[in-house]
Amino acid sequence: MENIRLLLVDDEYGFRQTVSKRLKKRGFFPEEAGSGEEALSILAKKPIDVVVLDVKMTGIDGLETLCRIKETYSNSIEVILLTGHSSTQDGVSGIKSGAFDYLSKPVEFEHLLGKIKHAYEKIKRDEEKRREADFKARVEQQMIVTERLASLGTLAAGVAHEINNPLAIIKESAGWLRMLLKKEEIADMPKKERFDMALEKIEKSVDRAGKITHQLLGFARKTEPVIKEVNLNDIVDDVIQLVEREAKNRETEVIKKCNTEHNIIFSDPYQLRQVIVNLVTNALQATASGGIVTIIIEGEEDETILTVKDTGQGIPKENLERIFEPFFTTKPPGEGTGLGLSVSRGIIEKLGGEIAVESQIGKGSVFRIKLPGFNKIKDDKDNTENKAWLEKFRNLYRRKE
Amino acid sequence: MIKIPINSLVVDDEKDFVEMLSLRLQEAGGNVKGAYSGKECLEALAEADTDVVILDIKMPGMDGIETLREIKKRHPLVEVILLTGHGAVDTAVEGMKLGAFDYINKPADFEDLLTKLEGARGRKAEQEERIRKAEARALLRKSGDI
Repeated sequence: MENIRLLLVDDEYGFRQTVSKRLKKRGFFPEEAGSGEEALSILAKKPIDVVVLDVKMTGIDGLETLCRIKETYSNSIEVILLTGHSSTQDGVSGIKSGAFDYLSKPVEFEHLLGKIKHAYEKIKRDEEKRREADFKARVEQQMIVTERLASLGTLAAGVAHEINNPLAIIKESAGWLRMLLKKEEIADMPKKERFDMALEKIEKSVDRAGKITHQLLGFARKTEPVIKEVNLNDIVDDVIQLVEREAKNRETEVIKKCNTEHNIIFSDPYQLRQVIVNLVTNALQATASGGIVTIIIEGEEDETILTVKDTGQGIPKENLERIFEPFFTTKPPGEGTGLGLSVSRGIIEKLGGEIAVESQIGKGSVFRIKLPGFNKIKDDKDNTENKAWLEKFRNLYRRKE
Repeated sequence: MIKIPINSLVVDDEKDFVEMLSLRLQEAGGNVKGAYSGKECLEALAEADTDVVILDIKMPGMDGIETLREIKKRHPLVEVILLTGHGAVDTAVEGMKLGAFDYINKPADFEDLLTKLEGARGRKAEQEERIRKAEARALLRKSGDI
């Protein structure tokens, strides 16, 4: 608390002196200003957390100063107003304009100190909230981008494969006709060269279309993971934070259990987080209020297992085999793309892992992700032995490609 | 153009493709049969002498890789050329490790396919030749023993 940066604004020099002296005794070193103008110019130069501001001042008064402070700094600076003894009206309109609180003069020092501390706590809370909101927005943005790329990739790959087959048929047919045209018995066929020309155009167009499908397939494989050290504990905490509101709305609890010290692996944190968010969101949607979604981290040195377990409705057997298929969904049209699990599986496989599901109707579902554990690297990344581990992992990843 | 007639079998679930490629290969002098699934492929192999199977990897039911395994188990001398979608090189590599002669991307260049067919036919012929020689040596050794 001692690092609260204070600004004391009062046009009475004596008052400032007294309060400042007592504050210094308690470990605070406040800046001082004798007027609203001076206060604003100090604020422009120095970082300040809490302003203790006298209302009755010559020049621009306390309320006006307050308005200007709030205009420029909004929630990053809190203001405590000091009002005259009988003017509660000033205090109330001050709070309306964004002051943290007001105190009537003569001020009881301990009271003021308490208010300053509270004001500072509020700043910290606001900052925390802002950081959280920023973080959430960033993660959501990332997820949208990854998912969009991945779903576009799935679609592109599907389209390309489907189009290659008819292309192959057209090509064979044209090729065969060309062979026929070369035969002696139709050497004198009328307008033969026109047939030749048309066939050449067909073949050229097939080649052109073929090139496009190949490019599409190339694009589909472009979302490559970025491998780094990942603490699964942190990732799961991130996820729980992200789904907190939805869980609360559904009156469902999300619990983390970490049953291993091998919770640090080498993987792609963002893609991994996306997979876990997908699984937990699905779990929440399948679980009635009062249910529990449990995320369990367990494993050994060379294999880490992450489990998402719910107490939901379960998945019928006939769907169980299909849930990883792209575009398979049981949600009403428009509510689910049917890509979440298919994208998740794609990611996990790219990361060298596996994903599996077990489910019992009425009891719930369990999604289990197995990931290669590379705990050894944790202790000493420059160690040559560990470099070999890393290399091994990279090779593994290349093979998957 | 193919010099020695090659007995080949085209396997793909796309009937039109099998039909057209067969016609074309026949026109080029090959002796071609068609099959529309892994199962039909194995049946056809059991019935008629085949040198080379042109096998699509992506098929419903028994896929190309599975069919390849069965072919190599039942008819180890039969050569297989895999037809792959672009970007499925890893599957093609897996297939070649299982004994496929080569692979070709779909839609395939006909001249490429002919070259590979002849290569496959050649490998099979060499292998058969080696087996014949080994048998001959075995026979000689036996008669020497007497």
